[in-house]
Amino acid sequence: MSESVVRTRRWSRVEYDDLIEKHVFRSDERLELLGGELVVREPHGDPHTLAVELVNEALGAAFGPEWRIRVQLPVALDEESEPEPDLSVAPGRARDRREPKPSRLALVVEIADSSLAFDRAHKGSLYARARVADYWIVNLVDRVLEVYRDPGPDAAAPFGCAYRVVRRLSAEESIVPLAAPTARIAVADLLP
Amino acid sequence: MSEMPAKLRRWSRVEYDQLIDIGIFLPGDKVELLGGQLCVSEPQNSPHAAAICLAEEALRQAFAGGWSIRVQLPIALDQESEPEPDLTVVSGGPRDYLADHPTRPVLVVEVADSSLALDREHKGSLYARARLREYWIVNLVERVVEVYREPGPDATAFFGWAYRSIERLHAEQSVAPLAAPTTRVAVADLLP
Repeated sequence: MSESVVRTRRWSRVEYDDLIEKHVFRSDERLELLGGELVVREPHGDPHTLAVELVNEALGAAFGPEWRIRVQLPVALDEESEPEPDLSVAPGRARDRREPKPSRLALVVEIADSSLAFDRAHKGSLYARARVADYWIVNLVDRVLEVYRDPGPDAAAPFGCAYRVVRRLSAEESIVPLAAPTARIAVADLLP
Repeated sequence: MSEMPAKLRRWSRVEYDQLIDIGIFLPGDKVELLGGQLCVSEPQNSPHAAAICLAEEALRQAFAGGWSIRVQLPIALDQESEPEPDLTVVSGGPRDYLADHPTRPVLVVEVADSSLALDREHKGSLYARARLREYWIVNLVERVVEVYREPGPDATAFFGWAYRSIERLHAEQSVAPLAAPTTRVAVADLLP
């Protein structure tokens, strides 16, 4: 039976933050607001958490002190989305406190095993709609890094936008972040 | 937008009542909690409103003394559902439900035009799962009253339950409610 007969109530980011502030959610809940929907994040396995550490280390070295490397923290993506990407890179220093939840992201990285299809189609479309210029998926299933760039409209995508350039890089290759053009990260350093 | 392939956050009835109490919803924010999801109700057109008035009148005559006819008011259906059916028939008077919403109406009526599929498949399965003995749909599209009885398990139904007896009654027919077996409600009196 199709779910399509039901229209669920969508939440704005302002409402979502209000729910958090009023302690509506349990403290052990891991949620993300994605396109107005409250989505539950699956618990992570060991390879996933290890990959988060590896990527964090590599990005810290590549971007340097003028960038914030944030691990599984909320980002103010758009009016109806507040995801918590595995890693996100934003300009500035955390102490500046101008933007507790950054909205201008230079790079978003998701680590994917069971969530691969979702991270590709759904989150990819959401990040493309928000014009995130550089989106990476550390694909633990195939042990490759997927690099998504050049976001643009795509009527077939879940949120109406998609990345037009997709590259799959294997362990022996390397990648230069768009926002850190002098740095080079070996894909092998990102894979557990 | 395509369906969200991820797990959506479910709400319990206790949490839903808490959202209402802390004033999360605005007046005119018409939502119902159906099986853990906050569902948006469609605005009503004039035939829908007229059909509710007709049904209210007919049910008041059929259910004299000892019953209340409630119009678009919440029922505490189960731990994750608090729908607001177009009409419910409950035992007792308004003061009996001061502390809590009624849980076991003897009859639930939905008036359906654009919501027909939702009322049949989704709400029908939900009411059957809660073992509501009798559920009517005033079907404005085909000008019939659909009478659903005998709730039972059904693996193909949305919530795992369905009504095993379905009768479609035309304008010249009548129906005796299970909880008021000596009265007859003319279908013509329910159709606008």
